[in-house]
Amino acid sequence: MIRKFIRAVGLKIAQTIGTHVKDFPSGRSLGRALIIPWRGKIHVIGLDVAVRHVAVRPMFQPQKRLTYWKQEIVFTEHPPPDFPNIRKTEPRSPSETTGN
Amino acid sequence: MKTVLNLILSHQPAAAVSRMLTHWNQCVPNESILIAHGGSKEEFHAIQHEQKFFVEDPRLRTRDHQREFQSYTGLFQEAAKFLSAHGDQFRFVHFAEYDHLPLVPDLNERQIERLTAESADLLAFHVHRVDGTNNPHFLYHVADDKFMSYWSGISPRAEAEVVLSMFGSGSFWNREAFCAVCAVKEPFPIYMELYLPTLAHHLGFRLRDFGEQNRFVRVLKDESSHVDRARKEGAWTLHPVKRLWDK
Repeated sequence: MIRKFIRAVGLKIAQTIGTHVKDFPSGRSLGRALIIPWRGKIHVIGLDVAVRHVAVRPMFQPQKRLTYWKQEIVFTEHPPPDFPNIRKTEPRSPSETTGN
Repeated sequence: MKTVLNLILSHQPAAAVSRMLTHWNQCVPNESILIAHGGSKEEFHAIQHEQKFFVEDPRLRTRDHQREFQSYTGLFQEAAKFLSAHGDQFRFVHFAEYDHLPLVPDLNERQIERLTAESADLLAFHVHRVDGTNNPHFLYHVADDKFMSYWSGISPRAEAEVVLSMFGSGSFWNREAFCAVCAVKEPFPIYMELYLPTLAHHLGFRLRDFGEQNRFVRVLKDESSHVDRARKEGAWTLHPVKRLWDK
């Protein structure tokens, strides 16, 4: 109970004072999170993945000017799934599935 | 002809299921409803509805659903047997958990129309591509090497690394996609919100999202007191509505 409370308070703080996280191509706001480098890793704390279903990929931002001293990591979302039905065009091997 | 099988999952007591059915009968024909019960055997036997089955699969009865990899495979496979036993009566399957409330009298017609308009085989809520992302369910599964190699092993698609996620409380399937997914033996425990959409995708089916209806399907806050408001705002269904069947 106390752990849950502390976690909720911590999340609230992260989502209040954290940096704005945006989908880089669209500029759409994805909420706030604390982004903390620690022991060679970058920790993202408080990004709302449960309620707002934020699913982002980190990537190095393309550079219009070549620089050797700085690169930027940004976040992007996949586009909404829009894959075709391929069963009508590609026959499948029966061995690919196992009947139950 | 009955076109849509409305498969409703409930674990609630028989009296609550009865109240739930009274509501559902305002939206879909009673003979189109199949109750999948995941509660106690006693309550299951007390349910006054002809079309019902008891879900034995222990992987439905998880407490920490995501960490215990809750599965709807056993439940769906029982429903597939029901479909098979009823010939070609049902062309579509609408799955809903007990707390996913239907709100419109022509719900199934709207679902068929949307599925057709999208040329889709499966419609679901909050459908996202999550491979390579911070999605916690994806990160939890991808820690196991088997997870990605399974999809690349079965997929005829060029991008075998695609992993999709959907919200599990409601979905709408054409029969072919539903039965194809049911025919696959779950290779190892995979949380159903990843397993079902990703499997359907890698079997070659087309998934689409319910789009503007997503906002009426949420994760946490109970919507029992907002049913009328949601209906006025254009909701076809509403989730989660947990208290409506209590009394």
